Amino acid sequence: MSNAISTRWLPLRFALREMRGGLSGFYIFIACIALGSMAIAGVGSLAASLSDGLARQGQIILGGDLAFSLIQREADAKELKFLNDHGKLSSAATLRAMARTADGEATLVEIKAVDGAYPLFGTATLDPAGPLEQALAKRHGVFGAVADPTLMARLAIKPGARVSVGNATFEIRAALTDEPDKLAGGIGFGPRLMIGEDALRATGLLQPGSLVRWTYRLRLPPNGDTDAAAEAVTALAHKELPQAGWEIRNRNNASPQLQRNVERFTQFLTIVGLTALLVGGVGVANAVKSHLDRRRDSIATLKALGASGRRVFAIYLTQVLILALLGGAIGSVLGAIMPFAVSWAFGAIIPIPLIPALHPSELVLAMVYGLLTALAFALWPLGRAHDVPVGALFRDVVAAQPSWPRRIYIALTVAAVLALGTLAILLAYDRRVAILYVAVAAGVFVLLRLVGSLLMWIARHAPRARSTGLRMAVANIYRPGALTPTIVLSLGLGIALLVTVIEIDGNLRNQFANELPAKAPSFYFLDIPADQAKPFDDFVRAQAPTAKVEEVPMLRGRIVSARGVPAQNLKPSDEAAWVLHSDRGITYSGTVPDGSRVVEGQWWPPDYDGPPLVSFEKKIADGLGLKLGDTVTVNVLGRDITVKIANMRLVDWQSLGINFVMVFSPHAFDGAPLTHLATLTYPGGGSVAQETAIIRAVAKDYPMVTTVRVKDALDAIGAIIANLVVAIRGASALTLVVAALVLGGALAAGHRHRVYDAVILKTLGATRLRLLAAYTIEYLLLATATALFGVFSGSLAGWLIVTELMHLKFAWQPGPALIATAIAVLVTIALGLAGTFSALGQKPAPILRNL
Amino acid sequence: MKSPTQPAPAISLAGVNLSLGQGAARVHILKDIGLNIGNGEAISLIGPSGSGKSTLLMVMAGLERADSGTVTVAGEDLGRLDEDDLARFRGLNVGIVFQSFHLIPTMTALENVAVPLELAGVADANDRARAELEGVGLAARLHHYPAQLSGGEQQRVAVARALAPDPAILVADEPTGNLDEDTGRQIVDLLFAGHEKHGATLVLVTHDNMLAQRCGRIVRLRSGHVLDEA
Repeated sequence: MSNAISTRWLPLRFALREMRGGLSGFYIFIACIALGSMAIAGVGSLAASLSDGLARQGQIILGGDLAFSLIQREADAKELKFLNDHGKLSSAATLRAMARTADGEATLVEIKAVDGAYPLFGTATLDPAGPLEQALAKRHGVFGAVADPTLMARLAIKPGARVSVGNATFEIRAALTDEPDKLAGGIGFGPRLMIGEDALRATGLLQPGSLVRWTYRLRLPPNGDTDAAAEAVTALAHKELPQAGWEIRNRNNASPQLQRNVERFTQFLTIVGLTALLVGGVGVANAVKSHLDRRRDSIATLKALGASGRRVFAIYLTQVLILALLGGAIGSVLGAIMPFAVSWAFGAIIPIPLIPALHPSELVLAMVYGLLTALAFALWPLGRAHDVPVGALFRDVVAAQPSWPRRIYIALTVAAVLALGTLAILLAYDRRVAILYVAVAAGVFVLLRLVGSLLMWIARHAPRARSTGLRMAVANIYRPGALTPTIVLSLGLGIALLVTVIEIDGNLRNQFANELPAKAPSFYFLDIPADQAKPFDDFVRAQAPTAKVEEVPMLRGRIVSARGVPAQNLKPSDEAAWVLHSDRGITYSGTVPDGSRVVEGQWWPPDYDGPPLVSFEKKIADGLGLKLGDTVTVNVLGRDITVKIANMRLVDWQSLGINFVMVFSPHAFDGAPLTHLATLTYPGGGSVAQETAIIRAVAKDYPMVTTVRVKDALDAIGAIIANLVVAIRGASALTLVVAALVLGGALAAGHRHRVYDAVILKTLGATRLRLLAAYTIEYLLLATATALFGVFSGSLAGWLIVTELMHLKFAWQPGPALIATAIAVLVTIALGLAGTFSALGQKPAPILRNL
Repeated sequence: MKSPTQPAPAISLAGVNLSLGQGAARVHILKDIGLNIGNGEAISLIGPSGSGKSTLLMVMAGLERADSGTVTVAGEDLGRLDEDDLARFRGLNVGIVFQSFHLIPTMTALENVAVPLELAGVADANDRARAELEGVGLAARLHHYPAQLSGGEQQRVAVARALAPDPAILVADEPTGNLDEDTGRQIVDLLFAGHEKHGATLVLVTHDNMLAQRCGRIVRLRSGHVLDEA
């Protein structure tokens, strides 16, 4: 019995015994698994901490247990009664407007007009401190307001200063340093100006058709503030007031868009982490292979003493598992620290509540990923050790190379790879992206392996070079045991990733810094009252005679159902889902709008006066599964309108001109209160002076009209993208570090052979310079060939992501890509020579004596 | 100490001392060695383990530098050459055969033999390498890697490699140590055939008295001293 136990634990005992000498030779293995696991554990923990923050502060972010929002209209008496019947109510209106100072400075602000009950949850913090209600109250005939510090800085005003909005004047009483429900509103293009609800009415901005959003927040009674109660009220609202057309959110999905973004970003970062792990896998394979090479005498001895191939496999598999667990544990610990570190370092500037905590499931997951990666990459070389006969093990390494492992080990490798891929897909937020990623990753590995083989083939069949150095270099590329496959894999992956990031980065920057501003309008003018549309048009044309002015009527509408299927039951594609998330701008027109063309069906005659029809954007319609002739019901101003799709258009969204997903036939909204939207475009872009003059002139003569300077909006989006790019760069940098580690490891593993070769060659008459030249040429040839492939595939990936995922125009950025590649090539040569250089200095005799 | 009276010895050592190792582990291996070996001579170095035979061979081949004394090989004072000059010198003048063959495992037999010729810039390196391999009976194994060859075959490749540049000096360190008797004899025959054919000076380190006897002269070492000659 005791024998059975000792045999069972034999592999572990032997494995540990062999590792007593230390972990030398395995540092890269451990580092690769640790870094990859750290990325996955860190991203997972951070995302869980963010989600926790969003969930736990749901009431504060939402501003209530439930929020009902209406666009362009206030709740009617019946709706108000329903709301008041179910809890404590607070209403708030948000809209964009222009704030003007006495000396004519004007800037876009996001107005929030609140009632006395605001906020139902959390606290609005003011500087100087004081109750919000008092700060907003009317004093000496002047309404109070509190402003985002950014606004005060922009207009160079202090508390006590006065600003005008619409027809009303406000005294800024304090800076609004913390607005509890700010997040639920999404990204604003201007700073916040908070006023009272009565003050909003005094501005005169509440015209019929103004783009104002009314949000009614409910605090459920203390004994009924459960999730179930919130769901019940939601269901009741849909049942009793089906025509309301309001968007209802509860505290568990306070900001679905934010939650979606967190999940999407988490997935992206997890993919980068997985990439780091996969690149690290190459390091694992190299480490295992060279470990087994070094141990071949021990293995042979073990076999000679009666160890079966299976037992040898078990011993070294146990070592791999111990090392992978060690790496995974180190990575998990570092990953677990990440939310705490991020909260400590960036907590103040992250706009999302972050509740750092330990998330054991994320840590276990990271370890599982680490373990599976180690197995996927180690089983193959481990399996080869099984079958190498004792005699051959005592021989040189070359004989062991070409043999394939037994079928069982191939099957085990395939199983580990499949498990890894399946796990990545099953746990993904967007499985389509995950499947694509797994397929691309597998493809890239196979492709890089083929590139390695191709390079070796070319080197083998290249014409014989005259120079001995070049000949040696070329021969080193294809010889058995050559570094070519590992260098191509690690360097190729590294460069491809680097170039992909550079191309995405460069194109995004180019898009927001050059492309879009060059062709986009300078201004959007919102909320132009319908009866002033013509005079406003004349006014703007007179102010900017060289500019192009376009104006269209605009309303807001929500898609309630399509093909008779309620919106919440539709299954839109990712590209089309946003259309259903909230209300959208809609217009009507007798002619095909500029910037779009009809691709299906017929446009209606300019004087069409039949039943209302709609023209749908083709790609969105496809994403929603809509076809010509299908019906769509849209809630506009609390009224459901059902229309038939008469035609489909393709829209050039990137022109940033006036474009709509849905364009209705004329007379579809006869009698409905609406406002107009206008754009002003300077040929070749406007100057700062021209644009400032327009802002001031419009603010002075049309105080109701909101001017959105597109450059400011693009800057705001650009700043968000810059932050995303930083995150992408950070995550990619990690993968590059792993790639460099793997490359360094591969080169170091080859070092032992290099020293031997160098010594023999020196014995036979090679000078150090000649050896150095041969190795330099070898690394240069290999790195350059790999870099060419890396640049090509990285550019291809960048192009696909920019054009297919981001739907932006792609312009190849050769400069940065080539510079980065040149650096990568130099680093490879330096890493390669660093190991070889010391070998060159070795005197042959001591090494020959020990060989 | 006796020495043949030849005008220009192929190898001349005078007052050679060499210690190896660091600190407490430092061992004085060669002690005041003086030795002249004439052109075309065949000598064997014999002595017990640790007597310094292999180290002396290394010094003669320019693989080890003496701490003091002069080492002149083929008219060149090795003490005055830097590492690269020594490498070039070896490539042109010294053919070396090791006990453990020391072939480059990633090169074929042909490539291994061609290496010193290529390094010396010989235009028909491959043809000459092929001829040498044919000479040692390996015409059919030109494109095999060392691991695909038997020990005897590997040593034959090593002999071909040592002879290929037509060196003035041929040194061999226990060339049969890793081989069975028959194979060892074949290797020794090849070495002596090369020595005679090329007129090279042959220095052989061996434990094998029979083999030592085949050389015209035997130098016996003990504890780093040249004990006597026969």
